[in-house]
Amino acid sequence: MTEPHVVKKTYVFAWLGLLGLTLANTLIAFLNLGVWSTVIAIGIATIMASIVAGFLMHALYETKVIKIIVAGGVIWFLIMVSLTLNDYVTRGWLPFPGK
Amino acid sequence: MSEPASLACREQFASPEQQRETSTIGMWVFLASEVMMFGGLFTAYTVYRVSHPEAFAIGSAGMDIWLGSINTAVLICSSLTMAFAEESAQAGNQKLLGFFLVATMLIGCLFLGIKFTEYVEHYHEHKAPGFWFNDTSPYARYVQMFFVFYFIMTGLHAIHMIIGICILAGLLYRTFLGTFTSIYHSPVFVGGLYWHFIDIIWIFLYAIFYLPGLHQ
Repeated sequence: MTEPHVVKKTYVFAWLGLLGLTLANTLIAFLNLGVWSTVIAIGIATIMASIVAGFLMHALYETKVIKIIVAGGVIWFLIMVSLTLNDYVTRGWLPFPGK
Repeated sequence: MSEPASLACREQFASPEQQRETSTIGMWVFLASEVMMFGGLFTAYTVYRVSHPEAFAIGSAGMDIWLGSINTAVLICSSLTMAFAEESAQAGNQKLLGFFLVATMLIGCLFLGIKFTEYVEHYHEHKAPGFWFNDTSPYARYVQMFFVFYFIMTGLHAIHMIIGICILAGLLYRTFLGTFTSIYHSPVFVGGLYWHFIDIIWIFLYAIFYLPGLHQ
């Protein structure tokens, strides 16, 4: 596997994209969209993180092993969040004390 | 000083490509462990925010959106200069590599300066958790919890920034020694991975601390 070679133009486009998304995220946050405000804020942040990881960190240009490690980090984090929230959010759903 | 060719393929590796991939995998595994460390804090924040949304909205409304947004843009710019440093190293241009490493460090210092200004503001507004904290809302207890998360998570991020600047200083020293060439420059790439990762963490910190209170 040879070293990923990313041209300057790709970096500049990624940078412009990130600045644009930061501006979009900030402006959208001024609107009161209820629960969607959080969904959109985290969604745009996730797109920005993907741009940084994919282009600036070259994850898209790397070997399968590295892609699996990246995916592993994300998936394990999602397992941690979803299983923890599974507990906290469902507390009080059943009409028994302590359930 | 070792020759670039011997640095690019040390005796335990079959080829320079294998050495490069090994160091890159090592850094990504470390970053995955960092995801777990910050992940625990993000999870705890999520649990508290789901449980006390009003308090977290009040806490977030007290953030300085301008300083936060400028800092986000500043950090994104530092990622671009770091990417240019990597590209210069790949091209074997040591002068440009040195220039972009210094630029990245200076922009990193600017970020820390703005962050420090914000911390001072929070302190004077009695938002620092502890006996100094003062909030008159009925949710004061959990507004304080918001600021506990804020200071711990942005503080841990700032510590990573300081470590990142030290790593860049080490890379700059080795650049002056002439270690990095078009054949051997994987430390610049690995240092770059760490720097860009700090950027990713901040992007999420910005979204969870600064944005929720904007429409209050």
